[in-house]
This record gives sequence, C-alpha cells and structure tokens, in this order.
Amino acid sequence: MTVGDQTRSLTARPEVLDGPFTTRQLLRIDEALRLADSTTGLTFSVYVGDLDEPVRQHAEKLHAQLPDPSHSVLVAVSPNQRLLEIVTGAEARKRIPDRDAKLAALSMAASFGGGDLGGGIVSGLDQLASHAGRS
Amino acid sequence: MSVLETVGTFVGIPLLIVAVFGGLAYASGGRAQSKRYRPGRPFEFTPVWFLSSPERLHPDGAQALTGGEQRPALADEPAQGAGSQDVTRQGVATPLGATGGASDRW
Repeated sequence: MTVGDQTRSLTARPEVLDGPFTTRQLLRIDEALRLADSTTGLTFSVYVGDLDEPVRQHAEKLHAQLPDPSHSVLVAVSPNQRLLEIVTGAEARKRIPDRDAKLAALSMAASFGGGDLGGGIVSGLDQLASHAGRS
Repeated sequence: MSVLETVGTFVGIPLLIVAVFGGLAYASGGRAQSKRYRPGRPFEFTPVWFLSSPERLHPDGAQALTGGEQRPALADEPAQGAGSQDVTRQGVATPLGATGGASDRW
C-alpha cells in the first residue's frame, strides 16, 4: 500500500491508481516490498516522483522522514529527471555496501531506460534484499 | 475478364483491405494515451511513496508520511558545518557515516 492511503477513507479510490502503475504492477511492488522487509529485517520504501535540486539531499531528507532511518533503505525514482537515488541508513549501509547499491541502481536504470518502471523497481528491491541477506 | 473486373480485383480489393486496416489503426490510436511511462515523455503523475506496512511502523498513525504532493526539499534542514562532511561521493557533501547508497541516471 502507499503511505498516503491510510489518511483517506477506505472507500475512496486511492490516488495511486491514477499513477503510472497498473494494478498488477502495484501488487508486485507491494509483494516485493513485503518480502524485502520480512527477509532482511530492514525497512524498504520506494518514492516515485520529482526530486528537487540538489537531488541527493532531497532523497536523504525523504529518507530521514522514515520512522527508523538507520535501518531503512529508500529508493527514490524521478522519471522526469531520469534520476535514481538509493539511500541506505547507517545500519543498512553495513548490510548493503555502496558497491552493491550501485549494482542494483545500474540494473534498475537499465529497466527504466526501457520504460519499465514497475519491473525496475521490483528487480532493484530484489537485488538490494538479496545483497542484504537474512536478518 | 473485362477491364472493369481486372481493376476491381487488383486495385479495388487491395484498397479495401488497406482502408480496413487503416481505419482500425486510426480508431485504436484515438483512445486515451497509455498511462505507461516512456523515457523522454513528461511524467505527470502525483508522487507516490510506497512502504510495505506503514501502520506497523507508526502505531499512532498520527505523523504518517503522506503522499500526494511533492515533498519540499531542504526546507528545515539545519546548516551543517563544513568540518563534518566528506565529499567522497561525486562531490556531494554528506554528514560523515550517515547514509550510503548510490545514484544513477538513464
């Protein structure tokens, strides 16, 4: 589910359905996030939207808004700017070294370049989770 | 075969087929544009933020993160001292040992 959903009533049509993802893609992203969280013990989250300059700082600021930033991994995707940022917290960084994050970023960027946002996110999460290993 | 029949067979029928397929293509092209993201095309969707289980992370639910609008950047970020930064990652200054990760573009 998306983070904003819970503030709205359950009957209202979630805004996320008007986004670029089909229902099937949303389900796959949800599944990937849940699997990544439960296997690694870290908290993964995905942001898709514009990032302000400087992009890296904006992504880090979003990451800092997560409940437990040090154990969290944020994947921020900006399709307009064609930019991707992966932010790992201090603890998460020990599990996912920057080199592995870069590897996941490369494969995600390759998918995004082909126009496959959902697939790129899912495969990136999968890579990050497998690099992090089991908790 | 008369001239009329020949023309009808070898010109009329192909033209008819072309017209049918052209019409089909035109009709399907007139639909609303696909939602799918394509690189290079503007991306005009509301920002979304996915978390697997926000309700578990926020038992109180009060200060849950909200999607739907673009996040303001660096609005309330405190100024950082230059001494506490390293500039190893592509020239971007970050607090020492705070966050890691990677960047890429496509």
